[in-house]
Amino acid sequence: MNLVQRAVSNGGKLAPLVISKGLTRGTGLMNPSVFVNDRGNILVNLRHVNYTLYHSENTQKFPSRWGPLSYLHPEKDMNLRTTNYLMKLDNDLVVTNHALIDTSKLDVDPLWEFVGLEDARLVEWENKYYICGVRRDTTTNGTGRMELSEIEIDMDSFTAKEISRLRIPAPGDDNSYCEKNWYPILDKPYHFIKWTAPTELVRTYPDEPARCEQVFHRENLSIPADQRGGSQLIKFGSLYLSVTHEVNLFRNYLNQKDAIYRHRLCVWDDDFNLVGISPEPFSFLDARIEFVAGAAILEKDLLISFGFQDNAAFILKVPNVVLVEMIQEALSYDFN
Amino acid sequence: MILIEKLIEDASHDMLNPVLNFDIAKKDEELEQIASAVSFYLRAAEYGHDTHPTIVYTSLLKVARCFEDQANREQSVSNALLQAIQYMPARPEGYFLLSRFYERSQKWQECYTFAEMGMMYTTRLDQLPADVEYLGEFVLFFEKGVSAWWLGRKEESLKIFYDLLKQDIPDHYRSTIKYNIYKIDPNAII
Repeated sequence: MNLVQRAVSNGGKLAPLVISKGLTRGTGLMNPSVFVNDRGNILVNLRHVNYTLYHSENTQKFPSRWGPLSYLHPEKDMNLRTTNYLMKLDNDLVVTNHALIDTSKLDVDPLWEFVGLEDARLVEWENKYYICGVRRDTTTNGTGRMELSEIEIDMDSFTAKEISRLRIPAPGDDNSYCEKNWYPILDKPYHFIKWTAPTELVRTYPDEPARCEQVFHRENLSIPADQRGGSQLIKFGSLYLSVTHEVNLFRNYLNQKDAIYRHRLCVWDDDFNLVGISPEPFSFLDARIEFVAGAAILEKDLLISFGFQDNAAFILKVPNVVLVEMIQEALSYDFN
Repeated sequence: MILIEKLIEDASHDMLNPVLNFDIAKKDEELEQIASAVSFYLRAAEYGHDTHPTIVYTSLLKVARCFEDQANREQSVSNALLQAIQYMPARPEGYFLLSRFYERSQKWQECYTFAEMGMMYTTRLDQLPADVEYLGEFVLFFEKGVSAWWLGRKEESLKIFYDLLKQDIPDHYRSTIKYNIYKIDPNAII
């Protein structure tokens, strides 16, 4: 049973996150990141891309010219471009406001073909809003680093403007090719889970010079599949929760790429020990490519925001009764 | 009016069902969420391949329409149309849309050829589950008439256009045909 069905059949709700074609030219809206601030405002960072993901499923009778999984960008523009929109939702999860995040103050000419801040997670730390994602357009070979972009939001006029941008080095010698999907810890400013298991927690700083240090690295966990970052790490009672993804990347006999993504709920204690994980991976709507980039608690329910095949964005309200079941299932996982 | 979220919630128990995916895609297209419509039309085609032929065929034509709408994705438009024709070669709609695609690309021989091929299958009358802009056999003649002129077959082109004017065809086609005849022969009496 997929999670949407499970949630909805227990009183949950699914809501699409859309903006008009006049702004998107009909290309993908994806990987939203929900955040609920302490005034109860439901905010979402929504990623818009200039491509349509083409993914043949089932027996793949109808692949694109480039294979079963292709990014169909404009044929005269090889770049895969991302812009981000800030949205505000009401408590029924209806979009009431949206605005393109104005990055013009800090934008420079891209040096690589993945342009923009990708899969950004929305956080509020020390009364400042940030979107934290990966940027790969600052070098000629696509080196990816997490960036911390401070966003100034005017709730009255509903505008959002990037006012600072910090490119975070990897901890240590900073020589890795691509760092992405670090997930921010909402109640621990500038801290991220960089890796789920073994768990690596890192600390960054909001000021220059950009720097990052490892807080701890714990080797001792056996989990069913490598888990990569998804939602933020959020507090729920005495526990922390995150929704993570696992991915099977493979190629067919023609060497064309393909992928299947699935998710799990991770449960953490106060010391950021991973104490539970969904024994079985789950899907949201049974697509092979789905991606979670946000989670939040609203009253006692869990909101999860996810992308569907990079082409559509949704927010799912998982009712408390299902959330508690999912936590119990995760806690039943035997790490030995 | 059924909301898209309601359609998807109701489909969530059976997300591999081609009919439900097709319904979601149609709604997305109506809402101008074109990338999402591509996802669901393609799922309808893939999961319906062995069981729902008209859904599959229509979905592939719609995928092409979506890419046409996004513009600058010509390879993807033609690929989807060719897949539709390959899947159900004895229907005229795919040939027409491919012929029109080539007309718009000014590839006149391709336009002429696919119009001609489509004319072999115009007696089939069962309806598709969505509008794909095929208005009847005359649209194939129209494409043939346009491309014929560019291929140097002026008399054939004029004959097709005059024949079409004798038929009950929509006004926008009629006015275009009159314009074409005027451009070919400014002294023509229409």
